[in-house]
Amino acid sequence: MKLLKKDLKEALRLISDDFELLLPGEGSGVSRFALWDGGDIDLSYGNTQLPPKDILFPHTEKMYSFKCATDVEVTEEAEAKSRIVFGIRPCDMRAIECMDKVFLEKGFTDSFYSRKREHTLFIAMGCTNPCRTCFCDSMGLTPGDAPAADILLVESDDSFEVKAQTQRGKEIAECFGRLLTDGKVQVSKVSCALKTKMSDDLPEKLSGMFEHPIWDEVGRACIGCATCTYVCPTCYCFDISLDNHGSEGVSFRCWDSCMFSDYTRMAGGHNPRPTKKERVRNRYMHKLSYFNERYGSALCVGCGRCVEKCPANLDITEFIDKVAEVRL
Amino acid sequence: MIDHSCSCEDNPLIPKICVVSDVIEETPDTKTFRIQTVDGKKPFLPKPGQLAMISIFGVGEAMFSITAQGEDYIDSAIKKVGVLTEALHSISPGQKIGVRGPYGNGFPIEGLEGFDLLFVGGGIGLAPLRSLIRHSLENRKNYGHIDILYGARSPEDLVFKDDLFENWTKQPDTIVHVTVDKADAVWDGNVGFVPAYLEELAFQPRNRKVIVCGPPIMIKYCSESLVRMGFDKKDVITTLEMRMKCGIGKCGRCNIGSKYICLDGPVFTLSELDDLPDEK
Repeated sequence: MKLLKKDLKEALRLISDDFELLLPGEGSGVSRFALWDGGDIDLSYGNTQLPPKDILFPHTEKMYSFKCATDVEVTEEAEAKSRIVFGIRPCDMRAIECMDKVFLEKGFTDSFYSRKREHTLFIAMGCTNPCRTCFCDSMGLTPGDAPAADILLVESDDSFEVKAQTQRGKEIAECFGRLLTDGKVQVSKVSCALKTKMSDDLPEKLSGMFEHPIWDEVGRACIGCATCTYVCPTCYCFDISLDNHGSEGVSFRCWDSCMFSDYTRMAGGHNPRPTKKERVRNRYMHKLSYFNERYGSALCVGCGRCVEKCPANLDITEFIDKVAEVRL
Repeated sequence: MIDHSCSCEDNPLIPKICVVSDVIEETPDTKTFRIQTVDGKKPFLPKPGQLAMISIFGVGEAMFSITAQGEDYIDSAIKKVGVLTEALHSISPGQKIGVRGPYGNGFPIEGLEGFDLLFVGGGIGLAPLRSLIRHSLENRKNYGHIDILYGARSPEDLVFKDDLFENWTKQPDTIVHVTVDKADAVWDGNVGFVPAYLEELAFQPRNRKVIVCGPPIMIKYCSESLVRMGFDKKDVITTLEMRMKCGIGKCGRCNIGSKYICLDGPVFTLSELDDLPDEK
């Protein structure tokens, strides 16, 4: 089915009564996914500067509140709004798949995440014009495809092909009703400009390089600012802390970063990752080796945000290429 | 459905409100806290070696080993080292705390059946071992000869003195070897570090499993000694510590390689540790 670009706003209006719509947009100089105000839709964003991970995994999230004046009382925070994320790119959609594995699998389900996940649908936009730091096809993705999205939009000059990929996606597409016409969109195969020598055996090769001098090199370059983890669509580490006033307070969780020295520092002072070298090693190993071992895929989706934003010019694609060149 | 056995009804990150029903002073810096539900029951059913996330509302939350359990309680022996443990040490019986768990894999109790057991503990490292020592003594016929080798900095730093000098020594076919780094005026037992005493006692590896808990440096030297004494790395079991926040393998910080210590650990054999990166 096809939807004319000029009808897009109308189509979104049709579903905006039943869902909160989150679209890529710019505010305070930063592009990110934000609530749609019904205004014009700008599709020129490749990747938003901030990833959409906060939709399912907020930067700061209240977990429960407690009162301990006379007796302790714990109240859990519950929230479940139906939302549609419109215009998510294939890399960010793959990142959501990675987060699903972390928060929904391996024995425990994270209720805060799963509640939001159940009520969130994704309308993805296949990429036709990758950004200069994109390298998703090196990481095994197809820039024009987002298999985990409920609906995939394939863009041409004047229209989108609307591909419903799940039951919930079909139901949404039905809401577009008369705006949809029969037809397909022909697009040529898209390829990322930035290439890296990622290979199937690199995760295993890396696991044998724990003591390799390459880590001294990247550890020296890193300044430990954690920008990479902040803009990364798959970085999911969090801290649990509390904010209390007198006898009342809330327990909350918030994004944390393995780039910070306090992250692994234990009571008593011992820190198993005392310098930047160990911390950068853990991050790259997690992205390119540990996650593969545990969940069967890389934790890097090739969105290029860390390459774009690192103030010290650390570049994971260059790192991958160096590892590929290493002879063990 | 969720395949786990923790006590949460729905949300594993929300603590259950429990009560500290008793506080026992073990050493100048270690206390045992007896924990029950508000209605006087056992908070959950841990396996020996499993962990509990304990919180004081308004102060914080941290992971501790479960030292013992009874019909209607769990015990955790906690050493004063940081902000939360300071606060724990200042509470009195009756105070409400938060508890989540049990977490972690626990000791492989079935895999130890039929073997002679050698427990090697140092300092507060006897806390996690005690849950397994108690289990093996309660199920005495399932295990062979039991040796418990324990050491602390000084006689006053020895934890669970009633067990070390009374309860466990009376058990059939059980020997307790206690050592201190530095004696005081009345100490007439062994003086020396745990790894040295371990070599001196020259345990035979045949049909014996060893469980080692203590400071990292003690684990390191004891492991080397045990391997020299001919123990197979599969027969030496130890526990790891890392900083933890969630306890359920999500928050990221307690990984060593691809393993999460809160979920896949804290119990590993030496041969399993050989497969993990050296980042302890």
